[in-house]
Amino acid sequence: MYARFCFFSLSRMATLWILLSLACWNSFAGASSSSSSEASMHTNNWAVLVCTSRFWFNYRHMANTLSLYRTVKRLGIPDERIILMLADDMACNSRNKYPAQVFNNENHRLNLYGDNVEVDYRGYEVTVENFFRVLTGRHETSVPRSKRLLSDEGSHILLYMTGHGGDEFLKFQDSEELQSHDLADAVKQMKEKRRFKELLIMVDTCQAATLFNQLHSPGVLAIGSSRKGENSYSHHLDSDVGVSVVDRFTFYTLAYFERVNMYDNASLSSLFSSYNPSLLMSTTYYRTDLYQRHLEQVPVTNFFGSVMETIYTDSPYRSPQRKDSHKGDIRMSSDQSIEDEKGKMPCEADVVDNGDLDAVQQGLLGYIWSDLHMKLESFGDGDTLVYYGMLMLAPFLAVSTWISL
Amino acid sequence: MAEITESPESSPDPPETKSEQREEFDPETMRRTKPGVKRLVLTFSVLISFVIGFPFLWKSVEIYRAPLLFDDIDLLSKRMESEPLRFPCNFRAVFVGFDFGSADFDRADDLQSSISNRMDKFVSGTSPCGTCSSNYSVSVTMESNSRCIQSQSGRHSCSYQCGAISSIDFRGDDESVDDSLERVLGGECSGLAGKVYTVVIVNKDAEDKAIIGKYRHAWIVGRVQEEEAVEKIAEIFVKVFSNGGKEEGLIHGEFMPVGADGRIVLSFNLLNSDPQDWIYDWDFNMIEEHMLSPVVDTLGPVANITVESQVLYYTPKSSYAYWDEELKSFILNTGDLPFFVNSNEWHLDTSTAAGGRSKVLQLVLYIPSAKECPLNLQLPNGEISKANGYISPMWGGVVVWNPMNCFQDPEKYPAWHKISPQDLQKIFEVFVAQIRQLVGLKSDNLFIGTSVRSIMLASEKGFTEWELDALTRQHTCFNLWSCATTLSSLSRLVQSLPRMIIMDEIGKQVKLSMEAAKQAESDASHGIYAAAAVSARQSRALAEDAFFHPSIMSVSYYSFEHCFAVYSPFFLPVSLHVVLAALREWKRYRQEKKKYLTWKARVDASS
Repeated sequence: MYARFCFFSLSRMATLWILLSLACWNSFAGASSSSSSEASMHTNNWAVLVCTSRFWFNYRHMANTLSLYRTVKRLGIPDERIILMLADDMACNSRNKYPAQVFNNENHRLNLYGDNVEVDYRGYEVTVENFFRVLTGRHETSVPRSKRLLSDEGSHILLYMTGHGGDEFLKFQDSEELQSHDLADAVKQMKEKRRFKELLIMVDTCQAATLFNQLHSPGVLAIGSSRKGENSYSHHLDSDVGVSVVDRFTFYTLAYFERVNMYDNASLSSLFSSYNPSLLMSTTYYRTDLYQRHLEQVPVTNFFGSVMETIYTDSPYRSPQRKDSHKGDIRMSSDQSIEDEKGKMPCEADVVDNGDLDAVQQGLLGYIWSDLHMKLESFGDGDTLVYYGMLMLAPFLAVSTWISL
Repeated sequence: MAEITESPESSPDPPETKSEQREEFDPETMRRTKPGVKRLVLTFSVLISFVIGFPFLWKSVEIYRAPLLFDDIDLLSKRMESEPLRFPCNFRAVFVGFDFGSADFDRADDLQSSISNRMDKFVSGTSPCGTCSSNYSVSVTMESNSRCIQSQSGRHSCSYQCGAISSIDFRGDDESVDDSLERVLGGECSGLAGKVYTVVIVNKDAEDKAIIGKYRHAWIVGRVQEEEAVEKIAEIFVKVFSNGGKEEGLIHGEFMPVGADGRIVLSFNLLNSDPQDWIYDWDFNMIEEHMLSPVVDTLGPVANITVESQVLYYTPKSSYAYWDEELKSFILNTGDLPFFVNSNEWHLDTSTAAGGRSKVLQLVLYIPSAKECPLNLQLPNGEISKANGYISPMWGGVVVWNPMNCFQDPEKYPAWHKISPQDLQKIFEVFVAQIRQLVGLKSDNLFIGTSVRSIMLASEKGFTEWELDALTRQHTCFNLWSCATTLSSLSRLVQSLPRMIIMDEIGKQVKLSMEAAKQAESDASHGIYAAAAVSARQSRALAEDAFFHPSIMSVSYYSFEHCFAVYSPFFLPVSLHVVLAALREWKRYRQEKKKYLTWKARVDASS
């Protein structure tokens, strides 16, 4: 059931191909954003949780997202800092044997749809456009604060997405798709406007790793459930509910976080190494070359929780009129305590081995494609290639018309 | 196909000429009739209508792009990078009670240059934007027994009545000394751009003290040598009046808790953690009128501030406090502080007044329940925090207030209390300190420098005039810088997407933003602080509006390739047919005409 989704309608195929191939050449010419914000400290946490599927048989995607929602809330990210995008058609689905309840395990111990689930974008509001509006902050003026990502240069943002995807795209509710270069573009704009300090993108979908291919902005960490050519599978089927209730990657992520509380110092590297490929039936992929800090030194609560920076207030501000017995009571208070972020680690990019990514494509067609790909790769500027291609189209058309006359 | 369709009059060769001209008439190369132009005209009329139609089509698929001033934006951001704003500041040192002879006219000038030198040493290194360090003037006045000498630079302006300072009684109350100094020095200075900051050195037998007033002057009393005085004056000028007394690195300069639209919403929350034990209420209107509105008014140039308040119930904290037998109270230590705010139960961000890009600062008054009362915050050095509160940068602040009757057994029905005005006053003193801390100012009334240790007087408005000046300078600078970076981001974005629609509104916003930025720059260079701050705020807000305009959305416009791919299937095959047909007709017509001409030539030759 988890086959690659190839759902482009034929008429759009050609344009999409052009767009896709263009994306590979986009050489992000814009000057890299002024990175003067390196010294800023981490002051708040945000989470954007997106379930891109709808319909009953995609129950598990909603359960995935709600489980993550529950986890980050438990670890301290307040509701007003969580943007939850959910089709939200499971709890009250007529096929649901347990009305107004959503479970992520067949033991039915935890009702994810309990109290206080604040869905910010619901049903048909979950679109690529709204997703981009959330990320880039370009809303109509009437959009309330609770639907906006009001992050600043000190924010750590967790972006979790789940749904059906494929090579460099993620499907949104069977009607449109998010493409990797669109995602990269949105992230670039966020960086440009300094809407985050660090961003963790976590994706649970087939070929999730391909979604990160176009990312270029510093401070971005990405983890995907599967590599190119791999599928992400569901964990188990709940025979009472009748469908699979959770995906493997999310299941093991949750299993990890059940052992973590908000005071914990568990590092991101321990999370990343906790995934077992044989249990997942896919290989997790994480991209760290854009991220400056060492994963061993980054607590998971830096993204999944909310640790506030605090500074003590030393003394009240008393003006003379209100000063009663305060005269001369001046004392240097040495209690300026800033729980500062750890100093910036020297950047030592972990270059992720891309070798086996290329080797995935097998078969004759795959071979021809990769061969062509290699050739195109050596071409350099993509735009000119496309223009030449179009120019070449014209004589072909002319000849064929001439013959047909 | 085309070969058979000849013009009608050319169909059969005329019979009477057939016989005599048979031997020389070759139907392959000649014809007797003029070729018809009907088909040519028809095909060409179709082609021409296509050609005429093309501009209309082009226009109809054209993307509207309002002109943006890319060059001006580049200029602005370059200017912001290379030379930050230079606010003019004037420093004036008044020496009272130093002996000088009647011929010592150079003395003041000497002092002036030595003060300038000392100041340069303090400024050393790169000066952050928003200080006076790059553009200031120093003047020195010496006053003794109603005789004054002034250094050259200060001679023409800013005069005050000579001897007036000597007559002030410096032994009096600090507040009254401050006020009387203001009366003498506070007059307007003609011909000087920017604010004038004064340090008065009074050389007399008295307790050594240095005091920084709540206006724009400081005074040092005691037996001081001139060199020592110069050192102190320079330090006060640079570190206090120019930098605003901020400690470097306390709060990073980028953390300006002002929303992108130049607004701040101060949201005051009273949290009754467990109303089963006791319920407290406050008279917020009274406190707003008496304590908050002066603060809000004072900060007017920096931000447009609105105030709102709410009382919440059942709001437990989320971190754990332990009982300390020695201190007889529950203690929260530094490690627990980040978890104090229980964001799942504290519904703080309920503001409807705050627009999308305003900044909401939460100021929380937490009243502990009976089983955690009294609750105190412990500093890292083991002491109990006096203010019993903390801030979180860009978020707001929390104050814990313990009710008096902590150890009473709670009654069966919770008692309804009102926080007394005295207590409320104390609480709001902490809140004001937190607001100051959030914008980067200290509140401990003490300035400790390398050479001078001085008391800072507090203003009833929450911010002293010189602090406000420094804040204004800093915010102006930050806003202008932010405006420039936003605009240059926008111009990069727009230039990288040539098929993006740019609505007129964006163009207008960019234009207005640039105008406001220019206005702010010129106001700043003329030393009109408040106007510069307002313009800078406006320019930033407009730039953000333009950048975040909802019409800019990468999924809602197409690239040129897309456009080509969409239209070419419709038009390319048809237009190619038309062009080719026209070409063929033209060729045929020329060929036929040639045939006719050859025949004609033959006929002419034979006749």
